[in-house]
Amino acid sequence: MSKKMSIRDLREEEVMWSGNPACQGCGGSIVGRLIFKALGRNSARVEVASCAPGFMNIRVPSFFGPAFEGGAAFATGLARGYKVIGREDITVAALIGDGGTVDIGFQGLSGAAERNENIFWFTYDNEAYMNTGGQRSSATPAHASTSTTPIAAMSRGKTSEKKNVPMILALHHVPYVATASVAYPEDLTAKIIYGKPLKGFRYMHIYSPCPTGWGTDPKDTIKLARLSVESGMWPLYEITEDRKMRLTYKPRELKPVSEVLKIQGRFRHLKDEEIAGIQEQTTENWQSLLEMDGKRLF
Amino acid sequence: MKSEVMVGNKAVAYATKLARANLIAAYPITPQTTIVEYLSEFVAAGDLKAEYVAVEGEITAQLVCLSGSIAGARAFTATSGEGLLYMSHALHHTARYWAPVVMAVCNRSVRTMQPDHTDLLAQRETGWIQLYCENNQEVLDTGIMAYKIAEDDRVRLPVAYALDGYVLSFTAEPVEIPDQERVDAWLPPFKTQYPVLPETWDHDLEEYKKHWAQGKSINEPFTAWAGDENFSHLTMISWKGHDLQWRWRAHQEAMMRAKKVIREVNEEYGKLFGRSYGNGLLEEYHTEDADAVIVAMGTLASTSRAAVDKMRKEGKKVGLIKLKSYRPFPDEEFRDIANRIHTIGVIDRNISLGENGITYGSIRSAVYDMKDRPKILGYYAGLAGREVRVRDIEKAAEMTIKGAEAAPTWIG
Repeated sequence: MSKKMSIRDLREEEVMWSGNPACQGCGGSIVGRLIFKALGRNSARVEVASCAPGFMNIRVPSFFGPAFEGGAAFATGLARGYKVIGREDITVAALIGDGGTVDIGFQGLSGAAERNENIFWFTYDNEAYMNTGGQRSSATPAHASTSTTPIAAMSRGKTSEKKNVPMILALHHVPYVATASVAYPEDLTAKIIYGKPLKGFRYMHIYSPCPTGWGTDPKDTIKLARLSVESGMWPLYEITEDRKMRLTYKPRELKPVSEVLKIQGRFRHLKDEEIAGIQEQTTENWQSLLEMDGKRLF
Repeated sequence: MKSEVMVGNKAVAYATKLARANLIAAYPITPQTTIVEYLSEFVAAGDLKAEYVAVEGEITAQLVCLSGSIAGARAFTATSGEGLLYMSHALHHTARYWAPVVMAVCNRSVRTMQPDHTDLLAQRETGWIQLYCENNQEVLDTGIMAYKIAEDDRVRLPVAYALDGYVLSFTAEPVEIPDQERVDAWLPPFKTQYPVLPETWDHDLEEYKKHWAQGKSINEPFTAWAGDENFSHLTMISWKGHDLQWRWRAHQEAMMRAKKVIREVNEEYGKLFGRSYGNGLLEEYHTEDADAVIVAMGTLASTSRAAVDKMRKEGKKVGLIKLKSYRPFPDEEFRDIANRIHTIGVIDRNISLGENGITYGSIRSAVYDMKDRPKILGYYAGLAGREVRVRDIEKAAEMTIKGAEAAPTWIG
């Protein structure tokens, strides 16, 4: 399991150049910086259609856009190709949005996980297709307003729940699955440092607020990400090769979900009973996770 | 050199083994399936040292080959019909990255498992070189030559070679297998021209900066490569390398250069291994004094040879053009033929619905500007695997000799 770190232990060397045309307060941009800061420069980056190709000046070989659904395929080929030329030391990192992970890219992702390809997959999850203007994805939480689940006379936002992809990946029994958040760089980095030397398929799902798409104040990105963890809406955990699940951050007391919801434009329409429903479900989920904490899953 | 009676799919597997492909990614589909099985057996037995990726679908198969090739592997995949169509947009990427991947295609019609050429011909705009084979020996030889063509510095494009499903894939014929040492001597291990590695990345980025420092736009080819046949993969790989018009132009130029390379490779192969196939792009059969010729691809060429032989015995001056390379298209070669022979009947085992047979259109276009334009007649035969008999070809040839003005005709 990952070793607890302090924020003071982060590597000093930056792998990202200064200068970044991302929106103000972009969570994904912070994710990119943190990931490659932790992985170091002996790595290669795969991206598919998402905001990432445009805004991340990261100084490692970067492969963009082989096909939206092809993130896992492209990473697989690179990893195998590097093996052929005797360069297995290069970490092949896929930095893919939620669309390229949970929807169009899911077949390839599941295939690569099942084959246990030697790649490290990072999902920066901003809970909708933000690069194309904020259409719903299957990572969009229930009730959220998006451009394809708008609030109108006949619609109260997304009707189905968020797809739980980290757990689905854990069921593939890969060497490492972790969730992370931009608000906890020490936790995120510790998990990457643990996962990097492992062989096989490693998966990290990172909560990455999108002020433009979520209707939040850019200065609140970290605050919002922190509140999401502290309210139990985005639990931080890891599942290691022995299938043991461990919560890496346990708030003493959960903050109410209303604190997270009320600062987001996409949830502005929520009625009290809807918020109560989300609260009930979040508390239940958190209780289940606490019961699983430290135990071997499935 | 030894000889073995083998089906077309085994010829593909042998060619891949002899070429020492070291990255294989493929998804089974009838009638390609046994290619995948033979190759798995070779890898499992240790006879072929390769990364074998048993992928979950054809798009992944193609993209694994593409990225593996960029990293430095000699990549191979095989598919058929629907699998090829599912792979289609990944084919564009492989070609647009100029990755020298080789793919075998067992031609299969779309709503049956039987062969026609519409599957691969529908991919003609993807930027792949396309070679069509007539028999299992040609399949094996082309499978080796394909790498020599794809990896030539003047080309660096992916190559697809096709064999008719069932007619070749599952039919056994005697095939000569070249010695491994001789193939090795001719086809050295693949070395990627511009390896994309973390330690060279800064240097590569410096090249961009130089380009920008000269006040040039990204819409111009990099100075270092202008007029350089050995163009780089670099910009295709970086996110900065969105597709640009000059790359389409460079791709087209490489395609045109490929004609010469295909001819050279075919000739070299003939000298070294005793077999070559016409000039590499097409093959002429009994055209020397012909009044009319028919054009056919794949196994229809074999049936046509039999028809030509029979008609020659009857005193009819008919010849055959076997079209092997559809992309790049041998347009000059067809003009040369049309200078000598003024009636050409084109048999298409494919159709571009709403227009006409695909090779018929290409050949007509090639001769359009000639002063003495020949008569080009079109025939459809063997679609969805319909049996094409010698007498069907004879019928087309007879109609061609008469040179009657007619819209393309359905045979069989």
